[in-house]
Amino acid sequence: MSPSVLICDDSNMARKQVLRSLPEEWKDSVQIACNGAEALTILRDNSIEILFLDLTMPGIDGIGVLQGIQKLKLNCSVFVISADIQPEMQNKVKALGAKEFMRKPVQADALLNNLQLHGLL
Amino acid sequence: MNEFHLTEDQQDCLQELINIAMGQASDQLARYLDTFVYLKVPSIESVEAKDLMKTLSQQKNTMAVVSQGFFGYEGIRGESLLVYQEEDSGRIADLLGYEPDELSQDEQLIDISSILTTTFLNVFAQQIDNRLSYNAPKLLPNVQEILSEHLQQMPFTWELALKVNINYQVTDYSFNCNMILLIPETAITNIKHVLDRILEEY
Repeated sequence: MSPSVLICDDSNMARKQVLRSLPEEWKDSVQIACNGAEALTILRDNSIEILFLDLTMPGIDGIGVLQGIQKLKLNCSVFVISADIQPEMQNKVKALGAKEFMRKPVQADALLNNLQLHGLL
Repeated sequence: MNEFHLTEDQQDCLQELINIAMGQASDQLARYLDTFVYLKVPSIESVEAKDLMKTLSQQKNTMAVVSQGFFGYEGIRGESLLVYQEEDSGRIADLLGYEPDELSQDEQLIDISSILTTTFLNVFAQQIDNRLSYNAPKLLPNVQEILSEHLQQMPFTWELALKVNINYQVTDYSFNCNMILLIPETAITNIKHVLDRILEEY
């Protein structure tokens, strides 16, 4: 059975980059959020297993979403995909519970490797 | 309608390419300053030549401008201007933390500008399958006439400029700087083709 997946990014192109990297059979169960607030609403009302999360977004950013997930005590595997590649930022998102950090533009093999690494594939 | 009129998809694609370029430029800046740089979504807009001249000449709290030319393949060329507010250039010097006589404030501003410009443009060029060379960066004196003269003496005709508004917050400090890319029409047409090519892949 394919897991429930949420992709959160303010860029349509970036969302498509993630989507096309996913296994074909997952694609029907993918939800989309264009910003942090939308993501938190979807996360609250659905049981999302895997979240692909951008950091730099207007309004509630990726850090805000990670904090929200902690506050709501959600059990969700988060993979951050960001252009903000500073080592301090990578450490920060991991400290906030993200499984992995991937730099943009995301490459399909890196994404699939990371899913495998965490037993999600 | 100007040459840089973009469809919604082209705009989104360009914004994403710029975000990625910006992210790497900030990372370089952070390493150079040995600190963390807080990144916001940069806003982009296109400006016509005459409007840009007007805006720049109206900014009265005189600023420092560092100008650097770039050129690549297929008609891609232009000039990058990093525009700083006067009050910010002092803060940047504080941040850099050089000994006062080691390097002048002007030299520091040129250094930092060149890091931002070349990292930004290298990453941008890479994404559109191009490769750029650069002229030496030049700090323009704080005199309006010299700035407008400089803008008029570009080695190419530019009708439009792409203005990327960048805000950097560096720990306790924050400074704003505008990166203005002066791009001739041929380069703009080329960039639009590349954006379409990228979009076709999705």
